[in-house]
Amino acid sequence: MTTPKDPRVDDLRQRLRSLGYLDAGVDRFVLGPARDARRPVAIAALASLRIGVLAAVLLGPAAAIGIGTRLPGLVTGTRDALVVAVYLALLFGTAATALSFVASLVAARLPATLLGRRARLVSRAAGVLVGAGCLVYLTLWWRIANANAALLSPLWTVFVLLVAVGISLLLGHATSITAFAVMAARGGNATARVDRTPAWRLTAAAAVVAFAGAAGLLLLAAPAPASETPAPHLAVISPGVRVKLVAIDGFDPAAMDALAATGRVPTLVRLFANGAIRLGADAVRDPAREWTTIATGQPPTVHGVQGLETRRVAGLQGSVASEPHGLARALGDVTDLLRLTRPSTASGTELRAKTLWEVAADAGLRAAVINWWATWPATASGANPPIVLSDRATLRLERGGALDGEIAPVHVYDRLRGEWPAIREQAANTIATLLPSTPDPDAAAALHRAAEVDAVQVAVASRLDPRSLDLLAVYLPGLDIAQHALLGSGDAVAPSALAARLDALRGYYFFLDGLLREMTAPANNEIVFVVAEPGRIATITRGAVAVSGEHAAAEIHGDARPIDIAPTVLHVLGVPISRELPGRPLVDVLTAGVRSRFPVRQVDTYGRRTSPAGLREGQPLDREMIERLRSLGYVR
Amino acid sequence: MHLPSFFSEYQRLADDELRRLVPDRGEAVQRSMAYTVLAPSKRVRPVLTLLCAELCGGRAAQASPAAASVELIHAASLILDDLPSMDDAPLRRGRATNHREFGEAIAILAAFALLNEAFGHVSRSYEPALATRMTSLLSGSVGLDGLVGGQAADLLATDQQIDFDMLERIHRGKTGALFVAAAACGALAAGAAAHAVASLSAYAKNLGLAFQIVDDLLDVEGDPSETGKAVRGDARKTTFVSFSGVAGARQLARELCDTANLALQPFGRRADRLRELSAFVAGRSM
Repeated sequence: MTTPKDPRVDDLRQRLRSLGYLDAGVDRFVLGPARDARRPVAIAALASLRIGVLAAVLLGPAAAIGIGTRLPGLVTGTRDALVVAVYLALLFGTAATALSFVASLVAARLPATLLGRRARLVSRAAGVLVGAGCLVYLTLWWRIANANAALLSPLWTVFVLLVAVGISLLLGHATSITAFAVMAARGGNATARVDRTPAWRLTAAAAVVAFAGAAGLLLLAAPAPASETPAPHLAVISPGVRVKLVAIDGFDPAAMDALAATGRVPTLVRLFANGAIRLGADAVRDPAREWTTIATGQPPTVHGVQGLETRRVAGLQGSVASEPHGLARALGDVTDLLRLTRPSTASGTELRAKTLWEVAADAGLRAAVINWWATWPATASGANPPIVLSDRATLRLERGGALDGEIAPVHVYDRLRGEWPAIREQAANTIATLLPSTPDPDAAAALHRAAEVDAVQVAVASRLDPRSLDLLAVYLPGLDIAQHALLGSGDAVAPSALAARLDALRGYYFFLDGLLREMTAPANNEIVFVVAEPGRIATITRGAVAVSGEHAAAEIHGDARPIDIAPTVLHVLGVPISRELPGRPLVDVLTAGVRSRFPVRQVDTYGRRTSPAGLREGQPLDREMIERLRSLGYVR
Repeated sequence: MHLPSFFSEYQRLADDELRRLVPDRGEAVQRSMAYTVLAPSKRVRPVLTLLCAELCGGRAAQASPAAASVELIHAASLILDDLPSMDDAPLRRGRATNHREFGEAIAILAAFALLNEAFGHVSRSYEPALATRMTSLLSGSVGLDGLVGGQAADLLATDQQIDFDMLERIHRGKTGALFVAAAACGALAAGAAAHAVASLSAYAKNLGLAFQIVDDLLDVEGDPSETGKAVRGDARKTTFVSFSGVAGARQLARELCDTANLALQPFGRRADRLRELSAFVAGRSM
């Protein structure tokens, strides 16, 4: 026979609990390790370690999700997310341990008058401080994590805030009891006074206040509503022209003007016959950053590729931008030394905006890109994927073996790999035929290295059957490599030697002119864009854009920004322009008739770019890529 | 339920120390002091001090000055509680209360003498830092948050309807505070770590309230020949039984004793004697 339940006893039991009875001490997790310690410092250290463990377990995974959202190139899969969570758990654990230790010791150093009757108040203040800090962090983390995503549903937000409140209360409570224990050990009264307000009411009130505060903070920190419009169908309405986009890095318009008079650059003269648009250059002379801006029509803050040099975090497939100067650089060197990070190069995992060839492919056009920065790893996802020969394609073609995102689709690699000896031979013949000799062996070697890079790209391009493509984009870095090798060292050079180097550089223009002759030969229904940027030589302040071919305007002039190139090319291809692009199509490069028949059309968005995942298992070419870029003068 | 078998050993130790401190001879005040201090008693508080000291690795002898001081304070509080201006109790520890035997003035003086002797004994028996901590604990258990505060609240509550929080405050002041101080002083005398002190304080806090609840129960249904007090002496007061009924009060006392035992977990089997003490408190009939 069971005794009937007495509601009075239940009520009294609850009230006793709120008054500190019927509680044998759930705080053992925090104070447990300190059970044999007598000195305040030892208690603070041991209890703080447990608080660190709590913080690590609770905050590490949460922060991993946050940082993964903030740095899209960092986390490429579940494994990366786990590794980042471990890193951040260590970081937060260490930070929480240190903070708790310091806070406890500070509390223990308070005047003895505070450690008596007010010990509980002081320890609670410490707990409130830590809990509030934790809640603010978690709330802002949630806001940041959802800044660009459509995940901010009210139910999820309420759930996340409740979890955040729970974590904060727990950490605050742990800090509070640690501070109290340390104060007790120092000489205060070890027995806590019982508060008149029951503990559960205090906790409930704190939770309500914390939730309200977090919700308020969330609203205050709310960004402007992001566009969540799904990518629309891109209807192509065009004059039916194909576009070749030839990207020349390291181009000096003034040198071009001088050489035009010599009659030794007829192809370039033809390409610039209609005039040129002055193209501004980024203040930061970084090829990956600048050419990704041109390819996406978005500034670096949006497209995500901040620089050529990046750092890969140990254990992760993703990477973070590498700061070239100051404390961040020193920190990077230290983490490299500790093998926590290693140098790497810009890649498509950082890229957050669609490139013009991706947009063209989305619109159903046949597009291909060769050797553009940050195109690795290449994927062949989607119904009509572009052909991508990434900036690592040459390395893969040289080495052979299984693809690791260097070329897509796979059948293109299979074919080019079979043709690789012929491609090499074609490139060698081009160099032998077109590259003028130079007496300085160092200059000759530099020119040869640069010419090899460009000649291979053009040879590869010729094997893609350009007439079958609506868009072919080729990036030619040779001139920049040569120019940087000959003029970019910054060493004092004798005038005679400088003159020889300038002569050698002029020779490269002659080579480039010959290289482009066939590739840019006039063809029906084709427009050739030559986009030239000054490269890494800071004294050249602007580049140029030349447009030739059918439907190109007879006279071209004016100024443009790098962000104007992508919308211009897309407009010529007949693709509507996204309102998210900050640049404007340079419609004046087209004839008046085309302009009037094909006005600029707009769409809200091209949709979000998804970073490639599931690739790069072994990263076998990572080190070789860096070595190659080092040999070409790109990285130190 | 009878006292645990090991009790007598510790009682003897406490009694010896108390006899040495308060010999039953000399002037009226001194005899008055001894009358209450040396009266037959279970010595639950001093035994608690001694057990806690042993549990924390010390010897009982190390803690006997503290244990004796705790009992002196308790005795002083009994004398004062029984005064006509307070509870006006006729019986204590099976005989006439102190003021009925020696007169009110002598009883008051004896109580004050006992209090001062308690603090003096602690300060003489331990090195200064430890003595300071113990004195702080003991004075806290006597002051506004302890016996004085509890008794004052109790007086004001007589013939009044009080709420549960007030009742708890009274019991904490009159019983719980000295229980906690007794346990903590024992642990400190053995040089225990803060965590051990905290665990034993939690034990004593729960045990103290259980002790008081059982006291309330005994007042309702106890045998005066066993309790040594007049039954229904608390009839004008609100007690735990008023809130929960007899069965509920006994249930809560058991739960409090269970919780006290939980607080002993870090000590393992070494704390079995304290577990026996809590079992005795939960089932006592005297």
